[in-house]
Amino acid sequence: MTGRLSDLSKQALKDIRNSSTLEELDSVRVQYLGKKGSVSTQLKNLSELDPSDRPRIGKEVNKLKKLVEQEVANKKNSLSDANIKSNIEGSSLDVTMPGRTTMIGNLHPVTSTLNDIEKIFLNAGFLVEDGPEIEDEYHNFTALNIPENHPARAMHDTFYFNAKYLLRTHTSPIQIRSMEKNGVPIRVIAPGKVYRRDSDITHTPMFHQIEGLVIDKDINFTHLKGILHDFINTYFEDDMKLRFRPSYFPFTEPSAEVDLLSKDNQWLEILGCGMVHPKVLTNLGIDNETYNGYAFGMGVERLAMLKYGINDIRLFYENDLNFLNQFK
Amino acid sequence: MKLPVEWLQEHNKKITDVHDLIHKLTLAGIECELIDHNKKQIIDFSLTPNRADCFSLKGILQEIAAINNKGLKELRNHTSTIHHNQTIPLEIESSHDCPVFVTRVIKDFDNNVNSPLWLKDRLEQCGFKSINLVVDIANYVMLETGQPLHTYDLDSIDSKIIVRRAKNKESIKILDGSSRVLNNDFLVIADKGQSLGIAGIMGSEASGISENTTSIVLESAYFNFETIMGKSRLLNLYSEASLRFERGVDPNIQSQAIERFTELLNQEAGGNNGPIKQAISNKDKPENNFIFLRKNHIRKTLGITIPNKSIVNILKRLNMELQEKDFGYEGWSVKAPSYRFDLQDECDLIEEIARIYGYEKIPESTEKQNINLQLNSLRTEKRNEISNLLCNFGYSEVVNYSFVSPAMNLLSKKSCSDALDIQNPLSIDMSVMRNSLWPGLINNLSYNLKRQQNNIRLFEIGKIFSSHKKIPDEKLVLSGLVYGNRHNEQWGETSSSIDYYDVKGHLENIFNQFRVIQNISFKTIKHNLLCPGKSASIRIKNRTIGFVGELNPELSNELKLDLNPVMFELDYDALQTNKNISHSSSKYYPFSRRDLSILMDRDTEINSIIKMIDALKIKDLSNIIIFDTYMGEKISADKKSVALGLIFQSKSRTLNDDEIDRYMLKINQLIIKKMNLTIR
Repeated sequence: MTGRLSDLSKQALKDIRNSSTLEELDSVRVQYLGKKGSVSTQLKNLSELDPSDRPRIGKEVNKLKKLVEQEVANKKNSLSDANIKSNIEGSSLDVTMPGRTTMIGNLHPVTSTLNDIEKIFLNAGFLVEDGPEIEDEYHNFTALNIPENHPARAMHDTFYFNAKYLLRTHTSPIQIRSMEKNGVPIRVIAPGKVYRRDSDITHTPMFHQIEGLVIDKDINFTHLKGILHDFINTYFEDDMKLRFRPSYFPFTEPSAEVDLLSKDNQWLEILGCGMVHPKVLTNLGIDNETYNGYAFGMGVERLAMLKYGINDIRLFYENDLNFLNQFK
Repeated sequence: MKLPVEWLQEHNKKITDVHDLIHKLTLAGIECELIDHNKKQIIDFSLTPNRADCFSLKGILQEIAAINNKGLKELRNHTSTIHHNQTIPLEIESSHDCPVFVTRVIKDFDNNVNSPLWLKDRLEQCGFKSINLVVDIANYVMLETGQPLHTYDLDSIDSKIIVRRAKNKESIKILDGSSRVLNNDFLVIADKGQSLGIAGIMGSEASGISENTTSIVLESAYFNFETIMGKSRLLNLYSEASLRFERGVDPNIQSQAIERFTELLNQEAGGNNGPIKQAISNKDKPENNFIFLRKNHIRKTLGITIPNKSIVNILKRLNMELQEKDFGYEGWSVKAPSYRFDLQDECDLIEEIARIYGYEKIPESTEKQNINLQLNSLRTEKRNEISNLLCNFGYSEVVNYSFVSPAMNLLSKKSCSDALDIQNPLSIDMSVMRNSLWPGLINNLSYNLKRQQNNIRLFEIGKIFSSHKKIPDEKLVLSGLVYGNRHNEQWGETSSSIDYYDVKGHLENIFNQFRVIQNISFKTIKHNLLCPGKSASIRIKNRTIGFVGELNPELSNELKLDLNPVMFELDYDALQTNKNISHSSSKYYPFSRRDLSILMDRDTEINSIIKMIDALKIKDLSNIIIFDTYMGEKISADKKSVALGLIFQSKSRTLNDDEIDRYMLKINQLIIKKMNLTIR
């Protein structure tokens, strides 16, 4: 009996050693350790032995079973290792091949510039307001202290639909609309499309502006200078040199144009601003002794052109993908 | 307005550094630049409409004197010798419109004399064309003093000069040869018979001087600028005179200008001068009022304290009359000079102080500000959310003009009864407000195809316009267009055309993001611009919020497109985020899946079957996946096969096979018996 077990052990170890794949090893395992396997059969047959031999032989069969299990496990490990190794060796990638891509589009540079500007003012506690692109005479002109026939109206070449309605020539009417809606104090910016009857290398008949308005107690010109300089520095991510020079807008007094010193030492006009004219507040029923404030307006394309070095405003509206996709 | 530097220097010897002068003027609000004209230095001024007083050499000299804090040498006053007593009777019907009207008759000057070279040169440097001696001198005096002058041929005037409002539909043939029709809002200069000119704008052809003229009537007037304002724009007739009159000229310089003209004409061509004949209505002459200027208001507006001495000094430099007063607050009573029509309120005076004091001397500061926690940026966030999704699906954003050609608008609608036309368009191509973003996107597609782009995906968020009962209306929409292949050419991917279902998927992703997908349905429709059978309306509950589909192949053909682009347009404001996120706290139990393949008519919408299954209200049926469809040789040509994956999952326990079998039996019976379909 012991001799038979020893033969069985030798044969099992040999079969395990000779297995060259995981599948072969598994069938060897079944052959010896399966329900009807030869090692299992030995265990079952123990009951047929003489009771005095059972403990000794039983011990040896169990030892054999453990040995075979151990060897199968060892062989399995080494076969898996070999398998993984050969898999790795046979399947290397050309890592220089281009990656699989999907198409990715991008925002129009005017939109991303608007987003950049909005973010800065949102951080400074401004709310964003909106207004109609088709305006009436009152909001576009009269309420802004530009009476009918005033020569200042010639500064805005206006597209008209009829005597009352027109395409807004600036975002300033949103000042009026937001004060009508929300009263004061107020702290808003208003981005949007504006329209003027003008077309050349520096003018398109449609362009974008962002308007800013702050009305509160104790607002003065130093605040206006402060916020605009902070804004310009943040937008251009640099310390920029600015100059404020007196100008004229019917709805602000004092009024100023702001010029930016370019890299090649030129003063470039970038925005208009001023302290809100008391008449504008009075027209809205706001007490201009208690409240005052500032307003500013800037051309979005102009700011984008300065930041990205674009020299023809018309490029924004050709919608050439070669142009647009440069602003990813 | 252009002025040569040497003309300024003739009157102000201290002007040596021209660049410094230009810098100072610019920083005082008189925007100007140096230009070179035939080696002469010329300053070109871009004057703002409020500074009427600067439209002359005299005005600019006044401004320079104020900026430099140096007194001004007044222009020399001249008094001409009188040779005869002839005058022309004046009849001012409306002294409110014309408070000052001054004339002189000059006879028998030598009409063979041409303008001298110095005069021609100077006018040319100022951008004026030399015409003849009389006109040239009139222009020169206007440039020098700011007072526009007008000359009439003495012989063309019938007995007297009348200043009156025009009659309605009164027609006048003006100097440039064209005719204008006036109404009662216009002021005219007339004689007994006919009108001689439109006041403040242009004279008539008949009364103008000719080469035979040897005797003239010279006119120098102050017209109420409110009467003249806007009239040039109405007539589309601009002149150097109207530019000045509608902004306002100094009401006190009319005689002085006449004397200066007389002096120059006599000097060049002789002539016999008559006495000055004038009609002045003092009550109608503009008179600046005293304005109260409060010291604390200067500080409140500018944020700085300027010493009283400096304020007084600045105001005096600007020729203001002032009295220190005590009205319970510290301040002054200030009167602006007669030529400063723009200084009407306290804030105007504060600007004057600031601009002469120097904007650059006012410091920057940060305001105290209340904390604001309103989530107002949601509007921007919504836009960014949609835009970013579309960018990730490969769409690039475009921005098109809001106006298009009438033909473009007709593309998207057969009739355009509600089209919104611009009264004064730049061109016919930009004459109607767009009623859809599609024509713009199709334009962008053609443009980029011509530039060898192949796979094109575009979107735009913008307003569309219409007109209802003559009241314009605008609406924000989101539109997109795709064309070409699903993937850019690359290894490992076979190319296939992007189609309706790609775009529908993009839209469904957007609806998912807004958590409104449950309420969205797509319904077959007919649409002018879209391909029949390949177009749908998009609905939220029962409201149509947009359209999606392939471009009608007839149009693609017309536009020479090889493929039919797929397009969508959505009402932007209908897209509102569903703010309710309902959290389900139920535990997880495993799901079971059963597949079902149904043979159905090709024209039957799969949605109809899903709806019927839904109507069975099997609560443990948690999802239905359509994992395959087949049309082809293996089945009859009018059929399609659709493979459904039915997912069963309970929220309270693990389902057993028997239960699921019972559910499947119900579904099979529905499909076979009620719907007469075959299960494959």
